[in-house]
Order: sequence, then structure tokens, then C-alpha cells
Amino acid sequence: MAVTVEKRLETVNNRAAAGPGKWGELAGGVYTLWRKHMKKFSRSVMEIGGTLFSPILWMLLFGLSMGGMVRGIADFTPSVNYIAYITPGLMLLTCLTAAILGGTTLLMERTSGIIKEYLIAPIPRLAVLLGTMSSSLTKALLQAIVIIVLGLLLGSGLNLNPLAFIGGMGILLIYTLGFVGIAAAAASKARGMESYHALIGVLNLPVLFLSNALYPLEKMPPVLAALAYLNPTTYAVDATRHLFYGAKIEIGLWLDIPVLLVFMGLCLWLGFRTFQKSVANPA
Amino acid sequence: MTQIAQPVPPTAQPFRRNLAIEVAGLVRTFQNGQQAVRAVDGVDLQVESGSIYALLGPNGAGKTTTINILTTLIPPTSGLARVGGFDVVKEAAQVRRIIGATFQETVVDKNLSGRDTLDTHGRLYHLPKSLIKSRIAELTKLVELEEAIDRATKTYSGGMKRRLELARGLMTQPQVLFLDEPTQGLDPHNRDRIWTYIRQLKAEQGLTILLTTHYMEEAEQLADRVGIIDYGKIVKSGTPEELIGALGEDVVTIFGSGDTGRLLASLRQQPFVDWASEYSTGETPGEDSLAKPVSPSIQVGLKEQAGKSLRPIVELAEQAGFKIADLSIKRPSLNDVFLKYTGRRLRD
Repeated sequence: MAVTVEKRLETVNNRAAAGPGKWGELAGGVYTLWRKHMKKFSRSVMEIGGTLFSPILWMLLFGLSMGGMVRGIADFTPSVNYIAYITPGLMLLTCLTAAILGGTTLLMERTSGIIKEYLIAPIPRLAVLLGTMSSSLTKALLQAIVIIVLGLLLGSGLNLNPLAFIGGMGILLIYTLGFVGIAAAAASKARGMESYHALIGVLNLPVLFLSNALYPLEKMPPVLAALAYLNPTTYAVDATRHLFYGAKIEIGLWLDIPVLLVFMGLCLWLGFRTFQKSVANPA
Repeated sequence: MTQIAQPVPPTAQPFRRNLAIEVAGLVRTFQNGQQAVRAVDGVDLQVESGSIYALLGPNGAGKTTTINILTTLIPPTSGLARVGGFDVVKEAAQVRRIIGATFQETVVDKNLSGRDTLDTHGRLYHLPKSLIKSRIAELTKLVELEEAIDRATKTYSGGMKRRLELARGLMTQPQVLFLDEPTQGLDPHNRDRIWTYIRQLKAEQGLTILLTTHYMEEAEQLADRVGIIDYGKIVKSGTPEELIGALGEDVVTIFGSGDTGRLLASLRQQPFVDWASEYSTGETPGEDSLAKPVSPSIQVGLKEQAGKSLRPIVELAEQAGFKIADLSIKRPSLNDVFLKYTGRRLRD
């Protein structure tokens, strides 16, 4: 017994002396926090339900009735049925909501003081941010898949080209990362849950209505269509609708992808900056 | 509890080996609107390896800020602080590897079990899985949470959460442990338990502990050295015995009404009086202005046992026109030490 304990200690001491290295500490820290957040997520009915509730209602209530109505209009949703037409937008809405709700993890840990445990641990402070971001991203993509499956059940069909599917997931990832960045910035700044939750309310409906998520751009009044072009969701819908369901593209991937990449870059930068500032003076 | 050797510290800078914590001229200011508040205003302290040091002071005295700096949570505005020989600013990474801490507020995730909490902590410090497992077993035994360890912490009482936090601070076998108000808000039973663990840790593992408290009893019970902190400065430090011993023999407290200034002046001229000071039993006015009117009282530190000097004191009071309502004699305590150096009473 004594031998094993000593042996074990020796390994610990060697490890402590050598250390896992800067990158090892970062990766270990991110993984530990990701794991913790996912564990909490799997136990939280509220968070899963809160994210999926509204897109599912949209698909079931709005999608089915509206789908029946627009069926007669031949050119309304060219080349795909209405469920397939609206599923990408609702998938993206799910990702957005999940990203913002994922940010509450950071907010909660910040306001309750749990973040102090991480900040004095031998991990880079960046790991705290990346841990939250990676868990938010995972939650969002998992729930997006639920929406894809629900769409299939309602008859959306799916583009079976694996490259197109991977491309579609890539678009979801880029889009979600943008909102993960916004969520991180807001969670680093917000004073409490209430003000933070207002963010979801503010973003949700405009993002949905001021985009091509439910109707084509060409059917929108020019002013609203112009606003829709300022909404990254429009580009993400355009790309995912084409990639997942083979719909006719309205804008073009050549514009969708760069716009989304710039959106993601700006939002992540904002998230990093705001977070760094907030942990420089956590007390 | 099984004795486990401390991890070998990475080689430190040359520095007095027996000092686990060394703080000199520590200052930390916060911007509060236009105003810069000096939360820590030139703290100097030294904690010997293997000893317990208690920072004793009222809320807002700068205790938590000092701990936040020493645990590398925030940088100091100026001054020097070393933990285990490492500079808390320049060598923060090394400091983080050798310390453990519990915070003033209780911070445990309510949806995770006690085991998850400890496991996550061990992982954050990159401990191997087998070690995490054995540490959890040892520590749950130490803090008597074996029954509850697999339950979500939202089912824990306040005392259980505190004990879990103590276990978390100990997960990584730190060389220096920081405890910020470890027993605040606990019932006497849980307070006693935490005290027992702390004594045990010091005795069995030679752990260095810096704790903050505003309970006199806690400092008196646990600490090898006490630093009285007020308005961001350490106003007096020493062993509890030294501090109390310096107050002389007995302390006489006089309650009543009249010309306190005159009585104080005449008391201070007496050969048997070591020191005399006035304080108000009511807290600062305004805080509870609805309470009974503040009654002035006087404390007198005597150079000899109180027996012979009581009569002269009463006579002096009569001469000074001070009406004595009550008079008590006791051996001095840390409370009296605190009163003497800060002119205020700590609310226990």
C-alpha cells in the first residue's frame, strides 16, 4: 500500500514539476469545463426544453398550416415543400437560442462566484471562456439535429449528398459561433439574469422575421428586404436551405460564406475582449 | 486520515524558507465612480510555514481583498506579495499550483453532486484520475460527508456546503490554504467541526493556513498569530497571548452617564492604570438609530489585579460627576485588544 501511494505521488510530483505545458493546461481546462457544463445540461430539463420549445411549435403549428396554404401558390417556395423551406430558419433559431442560453452558464458562474474557482486554478483564463463556448456550441448543434430529425418526420426530406450535409453543418457552426461570441460578451457584462434574458427576447423574433426564414426575400417589402440583408441569419438560411434541402439558392454561397465568416469573426472578437476585461477585475 | 506527502514544490526563488507568505507594502485601490478607494492600504504580514494566521477585522477592512491578491485573483496596485516563495504577480502560475482556497460566499454548483464538484476541481488541476479518486475518498471521510457525497449539492445544508468547499480546497494537497470567513453564518456545531478539521490539518500535514474572520473566538481558538486589520492596514499583530498579555492584568468596564472626558483624564493619571479608552456600546449612530440611546462606557486596563483599584476608580468617578450604572471586571480578551487598537467593537 505504502509503495503504491509513494509511487503514485512520485508520478504526481513528476507531473507537477514538468507540468502539462501551456497547451495541455488549456486543453485540459477547456475539456474539464465542457464536461461539467454538458453534465449539468443533461440534467437540466429547463435548458433543453427552453431551447427546443419554440422552434418545435413553429414547425408543428405554423409550418403545417402555412404549408397547406402556400401549396397552391406555385412559385412561393420554389423546388422544396414548405416544411423543408422553414426548417433551416428554425434550426438556426434553435442554435441562436442555445448559444444565448449557453451564455447563462458563464453569467451564472460569474455572478455566483464559481468562476473564482477556475480563475485561481492552474489553467489559462482563456480556458474558462473556451469551455463555455465549446459547451454552448455542442448544445446548439445537438439541438439543431433534433430539428432536422423533426423536419424529416414532417416530410421535409433531406439532401443525401454527404458533402452538402457537412457543408450545412459547417454553416450552422459558423453562425452559432457568432452568437456564442455575442452571448459571451453579454454574459461578461450583464449584472444579472433578467437583463441577460431580455437579450433572447430582443434577438429572437426580429432575427426570424427580418430574414428569409419564413418567406422569400423577393416577396418582402423593399425596406424589410433591405434590413434582412443586414441580418446574418438571411445568409445562413440561404446556404443551409440549399445545402440541407437542395432548394434553389437566392443569394449565393459565394456571398453567404464570407458574410458569415466576417460576422463570426467580429462577434468572437467582441466576446474575447469583453471576457478578458471582466476577468481582469472579477471582484 | 492517511498521511500523504506534499508534492515537491518546483524550485523557488531564494528566499527565507520558513516563510510561506510574505507581504510587504501591499496596496489595492478600486475605482468607485470618481473616487479611488484604498481597500488595502499598505498591508505587511508574514506567515511562517506550518502555522495558522488569522486576519481579524470588521467587514470592509480589506481582508477579502488581501486574500484575492494572495490567491492571484486580482493583481495588487502596488507592493509585494509572495506565496511559497513565488511572486503572486510574476509567478502567478506557480502560486496557483501550490494553493487552495475557499471563498467568502458559498460557491458550489447546486445541480452537481459533491463528488462531481470535487472531481471537476481535481481535473482543473490536472490530477491523475486515480489520485482524484483516492483524494475524494479521504476528504469525504475527513469532512464527514460520506453519506451525502453523491447527492446534488442543492440538498446540502449550509454547513455541509462549507465542508464540501473545504474538501475542494484540499483536493490538490495545497501547501498554503486560504480560508475567507470559513465559518460565517454557521451554527456552533458546524463551526466546531470546521475548527476541528483545521486543527487536524495543521497538526497532521503541517499545512500553512491564512484565514480571515470577524469572530474573535475563531482567531483565539485557531491562530498561532493574529493580525488586526482595519481600514486596509494591519494595526497590530502577534500571538493571541502576546496581544492579550500586552493589555495588562484585568480590564474594568464602566457603564454609566456623565462627563466621560473628565473621568478618562483623571483615570489616566493613576499609577495603577495602564490605559483607558471610551467607546459606545451602540454601533455607529445611524445604523440602528431606533435602538436605545447610545450609552457611553469606559474601559480601563490595569497594571495589577482589579481588587485593590476598584475603590479608587469608583471614587474618581464620583469626583468627576460620572454616574456608574454598571461595572464589570474581566481578564482581557482579543475583543479588548481589538477595541484598544481600533477604538471600535467587533460585532460578533
